[in-house]
Amino acid sequence: MTFSCLARLVCSVGALAAASLLPVQAQAPRLAAEAVARRAQDRDTGHDSRFTMRMKLADRHNRLRERVLDVITLRGRGARGAPAAAPDGDRLLIRFNYPNDIKGTSFLVWEHPDAEDERFLFLPSLGRVRRIAGSEAQDSFVGSDFTYEDIGGREFEDYAYGFAGADGESASWTPPGGAARPAWRLESKHKDGAAQFPRVVSLVLKDSFLVVGADIFNRRNERQKVYTVRRIEQVENIWTVMDSEITNALEKTRTELTVERADYNVGLNEADFSRRELERGAGRPGGTP
Amino acid sequence: MKRISAAASWNAVPDVPAARRDVMSRLIATFIFRWRYPLSALCVLGALASIPSANITKIDNDITAWFSRSDPVYQDYERFRAEFGGTRNLIVALQASSPEALFSEATLAYIERVTGDIERIDTVQRVESLATATVVDAVPDGLDVRRLIELSENGGPDAVRRRAVEDELIRGDLVSEDATVTALIVSFDEDRIDAVRGGVIQQIHETVDPGLPPGIQAFYNGSLEISETYNRITLDNQQKFTPPILFFTVAAIYFTFRSFRKTLLALFAVAISVLWTLGLYSLLGFSYNVLSSMILPLIVVLAIADDVHIMQHWDEERRHGDVEQAFTNTVAHLTAPLLGASATTALGMLSLATSDVVAVRSFGIGSAVGIMVDFVISLVLMPTLLSLVRPETGETPHERYLLPPLQRVARWSTRHPGRVLTASIAFGVLLSLGIFRLHVDTNHINFFSRNHPLGQSAAVIDSKLAGVYSYQLMLEGPPESLKRPEMLARMNQLQEELRRAPHVRKVTSVADYVKRIHRELNDGRSEANVIPSDAGTIAQELFVFTLGGDGRHELERLVASDFSRAQITVKLQAMSSDLVLEEVEAADRRARAIFAGTGVSVLTTGSGRLFSTLDHYLVMSQLSSFATAFVTVFGVIFLVFRSFRFGLLTIVPNVLPVVAVLGVMGYLDISMNIATVMVASVALGVVDDDTIHFINRYRREVAAGASTDEAIETATAHEGRASLTTAIINSCGYGVLLMSEYKPTAWFGGLLALTMAVAFLAEVLILPATIKLLPGWLGAEALRKRRGAAAAATVVLCLFVPGVVSAQSVGRPSGNVSLTLDYEPNRNDTVELRGRLFAEEKIEVTPSLRATASGFVEGLLASRPGPDLGTGEVRNTAITDAVIRAHDAFVELTAGRLDVRAGLARVIWGRLDEVQPTDVVNPLDVSRFFFEGRSEARLPVALIRASVFLSDAASVEAVYVPIFRRGRFDLLDEPTSPFTPRNPGEGLAVCLAIGCPTLPPEIVDDKPSAGAASAQGGVRFSATSGRVDWSVSAYRGLEAFAIYQVARSAAGAPVTIEGKHPRFTMIGADVETVRGEWGVRGEVAAFVDDNFQTPALTIAEGSSVEAGAGVDRKAGSYRISGTVLFHHERAEGGSQAAGRIDESRRSDLSLVLSADRRFARERYGVRVFGVANTTEGSGFVRAIGSAELGDNLGLEASIGWFAGEGRDLVGRFADSDFAYLRVKYYF
Repeated sequence: MTFSCLARLVCSVGALAAASLLPVQAQAPRLAAEAVARRAQDRDTGHDSRFTMRMKLADRHNRLRERVLDVITLRGRGARGAPAAAPDGDRLLIRFNYPNDIKGTSFLVWEHPDAEDERFLFLPSLGRVRRIAGSEAQDSFVGSDFTYEDIGGREFEDYAYGFAGADGESASWTPPGGAARPAWRLESKHKDGAAQFPRVVSLVLKDSFLVVGADIFNRRNERQKVYTVRRIEQVENIWTVMDSEITNALEKTRTELTVERADYNVGLNEADFSRRELERGAGRPGGTP
Repeated sequence: MKRISAAASWNAVPDVPAARRDVMSRLIATFIFRWRYPLSALCVLGALASIPSANITKIDNDITAWFSRSDPVYQDYERFRAEFGGTRNLIVALQASSPEALFSEATLAYIERVTGDIERIDTVQRVESLATATVVDAVPDGLDVRRLIELSENGGPDAVRRRAVEDELIRGDLVSEDATVTALIVSFDEDRIDAVRGGVIQQIHETVDPGLPPGIQAFYNGSLEISETYNRITLDNQQKFTPPILFFTVAAIYFTFRSFRKTLLALFAVAISVLWTLGLYSLLGFSYNVLSSMILPLIVVLAIADDVHIMQHWDEERRHGDVEQAFTNTVAHLTAPLLGASATTALGMLSLATSDVVAVRSFGIGSAVGIMVDFVISLVLMPTLLSLVRPETGETPHERYLLPPLQRVARWSTRHPGRVLTASIAFGVLLSLGIFRLHVDTNHINFFSRNHPLGQSAAVIDSKLAGVYSYQLMLEGPPESLKRPEMLARMNQLQEELRRAPHVRKVTSVADYVKRIHRELNDGRSEANVIPSDAGTIAQELFVFTLGGDGRHELERLVASDFSRAQITVKLQAMSSDLVLEEVEAADRRARAIFAGTGVSVLTTGSGRLFSTLDHYLVMSQLSSFATAFVTVFGVIFLVFRSFRFGLLTIVPNVLPVVAVLGVMGYLDISMNIATVMVASVALGVVDDDTIHFINRYRREVAAGASTDEAIETATAHEGRASLTTAIINSCGYGVLLMSEYKPTAWFGGLLALTMAVAFLAEVLILPATIKLLPGWLGAEALRKRRGAAAAATVVLCLFVPGVVSAQSVGRPSGNVSLTLDYEPNRNDTVELRGRLFAEEKIEVTPSLRATASGFVEGLLASRPGPDLGTGEVRNTAITDAVIRAHDAFVELTAGRLDVRAGLARVIWGRLDEVQPTDVVNPLDVSRFFFEGRSEARLPVALIRASVFLSDAASVEAVYVPIFRRGRFDLLDEPTSPFTPRNPGEGLAVCLAIGCPTLPPEIVDDKPSAGAASAQGGVRFSATSGRVDWSVSAYRGLEAFAIYQVARSAAGAPVTIEGKHPRFTMIGADVETVRGEWGVRGEVAAFVDDNFQTPALTIAEGSSVEAGAGVDRKAGSYRISGTVLFHHERAEGGSQAAGRIDESRRSDLSLVLSADRRFARERYGVRVFGVANTTEGSGFVRAIGSAELGDNLGLEASIGWFAGEGRDLVGRFADSDFAYLRVKYYF
């Protein structure tokens, strides 16, 4: 089972989106930190989803580059409400549509609950589907402040959870121009101390289990990355992060992520996440998956 | 409802391209502003680096600077020269006031002395003069052949005079009929003279002039003197007119802007553009000549035009904005029009690259490069320089004095469009009548005034001697054939006919000598002045004649010693090159008719043919270029503005100035010649500048909400002002050239000024009037309505089309444009500039049916080595080529588990990187393999591929390729490409095979014909077992690259080497998996039927195995990979046809290593890649650096180094080291 914290791209817009059916925290019993993490992980984000996102990458001189990508996801059998025909683990397919030099580049992840994930890459310049090693999870994802690991996900069990600070259970999040909403300040500590980012402090909304902010600490316990959500919306009754930003304080870089379109439960199936489709999808006009 | 993508609907709105262009212009402006200092520094440093190669006074006189060595006219001349020596000469005419003055003892002694002195000058091969001429007299024991001048020993100078005038072989050539003019005709070693021409001619002048006897005047002419005078005048004009041109240009810029700063900045920017242009011209391997000196004024004119527009716009922007706003707004506003204007002119010039004349090609390519460089420099440097100086926001003279009148002109044009257009058409018709008086004529002598030494000498030589021009007919037959009576009689007949031609002054051949000898041996009787009918008599008489050394030498100049070749020399008076060419061609036809069926062939050549053909080429290529440029204008305007209407609108204002210039030329009796056709090309560059700027401004104003009249007034007042300013500046500068004594220079100056004036009038009068007269088509409201209508139509389409064709979606065409500059140092410093435009369209007709179509246009400008036919040396020549090709063009059908792809497509087999033994379906383009990688290098083939997906873990694929397509070493001008291995017909291999042939072998690529004989196909089964992906495959195909064998040839015929494409059978397997951090891949291909090239040029059949295993992983910040490749081949036998049996076994092991790293959030990347063949001792190392300059803009630089030679893939490309720089823009 993978833990979908901020670290996961899909999380940041979908899986991190709220489980709207959850009871309002004010009326809910007090939860342990791990339970909060589990609920955030397991919240209902639909059987499948489709997003069109615009990613803006700013370097230390604030020079912007853009990426436009389509993301489709399919929840595995372990997810709540998933049909029996669902694959064993989650499926994720990302296809880049802009800029044109990387147009058609596609990335497919098959998560396996009890084994190492499988990753495949389709580069138009290569012309074939290539199985890639997990080590690429540590790379920057197309030059953004996200890594491939952020996209592919981390193991839930690799982390230990607790509330951070005195206000860990009574924090709040205020969206720009909106009212304050109660939240947990959840601390996730990697069990492997040598991990690149061993500690993450996330802000999880109590009413929706949506992660709306995070501070990511490096091995020197410096707050290296800051994830900020600027706008959330309910799409088909699912809370979705529509506008967010991640900044790297050390490198002085920034990545903005805007969801231009979000759809849930659109009827995707496992065949849409096959290697055949990975290659074939690149032939579609606009490369839209 | 199927969603129509936002991009698709956006693209359908006509105004969007303009908006997108604006966005693009804005992006460019922002980029330039951000990088203005480094970019400007680059401009300046590049210019400084160009200074050493910008010496345009170093002129290349070699005839190959004009003629391609492969030109048949040049080759004919070389063939003639090999037998009889060159005919490009220097004529020194000595004129005396009376025959007595010329034929005095002192003068004859002078002639004898000067003849000797000239003969001693280096590179002089021969001097014909009264001192070297021979006469023939019968004596009792035979013939007495002696020097003419020896007659003076007994008879004094009078005897020499009488005999010289009487002897028809001397009269005309060396002495005038009235005995007042004599000539010294100097011939040179033409292999060496061009390099030292100026100095040698100067030495001859210094030998002749100082000691001239009293009353004797010397005149110089001849083809070498004419060529040298051209050079001299070109350089003189540069020295003489550059200061006044500079002065008037500076003054004009100053008075229009009233600013020393701007004046200096403009001059600085122009100088930078000029230096870059000249530097790149040299870098491309071109040499300077008279024609290339025209690049200078061309670039200056266009650079000033660009800079004036920029300065003017800068002033306007700077008044109400800061530096950044002024900078970005100026650049954003002017990028599209300047690009359009520059690209139009550059393309026009580039069309000269197809010319037959080397110098024209160099000029065309050099000026095209210069124009585009000037565009970039103007856009970068000028705004940067302006941003550095104190703003001058006050009213400038050009605003004060030009703005109000131009506004009035605009109002008047828009109020009276009918009158304006009627008057313009009337004016155009009036001028066009002059075109009927225009004639195509290049008369080099007439380019100079009668008082010019060249004009004077031509007058003397033409009126008194046999004329300035000459051409030769070379007759070739079997040995001894050309002394047979019937052949000599035919020669005599041909001479008689040629003498009747209007401009022919003298015709000489061996027949004249035979007649003279026969006459002398028959007591000088006039009736014996005939060709003897008996072959024996002729042979004996000629034998007697050649007994003396003088006679033999004289005869050797006219006929080969074995009488298999003879020449007929025809001398002409100075006249138009076109007339010379006509005469030459008529003579050629006549000679062929006379010698038809005799076994004697005719070759017409000589300096007359050489230079008249050259002039013809020059005029024709210029006219062709001009026509191309004219069409290009509309094409570029269409592309820049994406508007057919505005493309059409440009016709009238562009046609009128050209018509005006041509008409005026007709009225002034200025011919269309090698000088004036250049004016037309330069003029068009200026004219379309004006039009593009006007239309750009008009459309912008309309888009901003202006009415038609308002938009016209603004465009006229602002862009018209810049045009007028440019016209004033350049007219002031180049008007000075009217004072030149060399007519082409004067014409250039005058006609350029005229063109600019008319172009300006056309812009401010005809364009506004045409727009006003077609309000429903070009008016502001019409443009806006069209946008509204198109937008509405798009909305309707969005609403209804999805309903009608619910599953259709059409993608926006995408693609890329790239420009690659590459350099291959070991291939004679080959330099190539490759431009490529690739576009692709994908259509999803239904979810299960898709179509893909893509194609590209690729162009090449290169300086590549080629063999010199004369010397065998390798010299670089300018190579140009362009291809337009369909790339992928296929449909894909998906039905359940079945995928079918049919059409022109690529299929990729194998799992290793770059070297994939089982990837055999598509042939490769080797040049692209090295420059862009295997994927880009695959050449699509017509195929049908069916894939059945048995499950997600297993599939079967069958491929059928019905039509063979061969691999290419380079799609662009393959024979000269640095990636093409040496010709199999060269070198040791041929000698081994056929015993060192004397004739070059003929190489034929014997491609399999269409049909079953060329069908190829195979199957592949792919599966996944656990985490291991694997495939097995089999393919029966044809060798993509030819394997050569010597074919049997008829005796005496050139040996033929056939390139065969025999069949092979491949059985392969590949595997891929991931283990932890490691990716592991492997591939094996067994070619059970294979074919090999043997050193003895035969095809050996056999089998081979290629296998490879590789790993890759991330190591720190690097991605590394390593592959081991094993190759083994067994050749079982040679071609039976060649009668040889060769057996061999060969194995080799290669190691492929690569490491790459990306920096700065993947903005920059570096990759190092190396292959080493441990057995063959060959290797290849490559480093690639890449930078993402923008979201869709990339820059890549790479160096590739080959080490060692061998029979493996890498070893075959020994000496193909390369470096390249590529910029690529994706759209």
